[in-house]
Amino acid sequence: MKPPDEHIPSKTTIIPYYIVAAFAFVLLSVLCLVAGNAFTGHYFQPRILAITHLAVFGWATMIIFGASNQLTPVICEQRLKSEKLPVVIIALLMAGTGLLVTSFWNFEINALAYTGGILLLTAIVLHAQNIYKTAKAGKETAVRDFMLMAHLWLVITCTLGFILLVNIRYPYLSEDHLHYLRIHASVGMAGWFLQLVIGISSKLVPMFLLSRTEKQKLLNIAYYTINIGLAFFLLEGLVFRTRWGQLFYLVSITTGIIAYTLYIRTCYKTAIRKQLDNGMKQTFLALVLMSLPFILLLAILLTRVDISPNLITAYGFAFFGGFISTIIMGQTFKTLPFIVWMHITKPNTLPEVLPKDLFNEKWVKVQMLLYLPGYLLFLSGILVKLVLLIYAGSILMIVASSLYLLHVVLIVKKLK
Amino acid sequence: MMELNIADSDYRTKMTALEALHQVADPELGINIVDLGLVYNIYVDQPGKEITVEMTLSTPSCPLGNFITNHAAVAVESALPDYNATVNLVWEPKWNADRISPQGKAELGW
Repeated sequence: MKPPDEHIPSKTTIIPYYIVAAFAFVLLSVLCLVAGNAFTGHYFQPRILAITHLAVFGWATMIIFGASNQLTPVICEQRLKSEKLPVVIIALLMAGTGLLVTSFWNFEINALAYTGGILLLTAIVLHAQNIYKTAKAGKETAVRDFMLMAHLWLVITCTLGFILLVNIRYPYLSEDHLHYLRIHASVGMAGWFLQLVIGISSKLVPMFLLSRTEKQKLLNIAYYTINIGLAFFLLEGLVFRTRWGQLFYLVSITTGIIAYTLYIRTCYKTAIRKQLDNGMKQTFLALVLMSLPFILLLAILLTRVDISPNLITAYGFAFFGGFISTIIMGQTFKTLPFIVWMHITKPNTLPEVLPKDLFNEKWVKVQMLLYLPGYLLFLSGILVKLVLLIYAGSILMIVASSLYLLHVVLIVKKLK
Repeated sequence: MMELNIADSDYRTKMTALEALHQVADPELGINIVDLGLVYNIYVDQPGKEITVEMTLSTPSCPLGNFITNHAAVAVESALPDYNATVNLVWEPKWNADRISPQGKAELGW
């Protein structure tokens, strides 16, 4: 008998990330309510900076780190290089996020903020090298390439972020701070989040749908066009500082996203499993919601941002609150129950329960039925600058995220 | 879906093993591996008291593959305690939807 846990990392490398992220999600929703007013003004605002960094590190990156500790060994058919490092990384991430978010909230860019930034950068470099060492020994696949490249962009984004943090107090950069802030945010969104989502979903979607055709060529196109576009965007913003290349990188990145969408479409069309569970429905919903930040980006490029800076806030919120949060909420219930199941199932006895018995499918649906209108109300509130809509939206988001947290805790409790 | 030949001298043993394999579900789909058509063959070595289950997985990179194969062996050995069960994982012929039983298809939303 082969050991069933050949490539399965220990639960301490994964589960704490899911729990901390779920708590951060609730806190995030509460802060959106508390700082509701801030969303109607300029995006470079202490409360928005604090909330954004909590969303990025406490919620999205936290859960993605946990999931990648689970998925990288599976994708690369290797054991996770270090199982001790994730324990250190989560501590650094939590402390770093706490310090940075508090500093931004109070807008006190002092030693605590810099310590937070250094802790976060250390956590990210350590995680990236652990994933790199694990993946390096594994099979060369498009998924692996996406994951490695996403981690590289994360390191670049955070390094840029730290440079900007120093620049707030000791201005030394040649261009306006907001110019670099836009590069920092865009590289993070497209380089880290988007690429990681593409990489992981291109593995999970066909696996969950039992797709018979996976057009690898489309994935390769997506990989090259997104990365060439991003590299060009970065060089243009930092070195060339012209605007002539805008069309090139936009076309390049959009081509990549279209190729990925076609890949997912093929997976769905050739799926043996036609009945989608709520986790998968939410994943597809997230892919549809991905179009909203693009529409807003187009609006930003076509209008004068200095007149309507709330468009940029809406763009960021549409990306994190819509696309990223929806995909995470859906995929949590496609991954966490399996992770828990693998740890409670013994190899020499038939299991009494299946992963689907470890969570409540109806709850997953209710969570989204509360979250989606909350998100749309909040986004509308930002766009029309109506605080009442923002408050209504954030209340629904608080209820949805609390339900999500409770659900996650109940699943994890099954480990006992 | 795998079919047994009633004229086979090991028919009874194979039938018992096949019934036992109905208890093993694909953890993601919640459908048993027999209805999914993942079981290709069952070989019985009567003198050696060995049973070999030849099966596949819905996807080669299935992270739960080792769980499924281990549970298949456990199920067969529980139903036929005098035998030692081994699972032989194969990728040819490639698994496809034609192998799924009508019940399995209904559960998959066909």
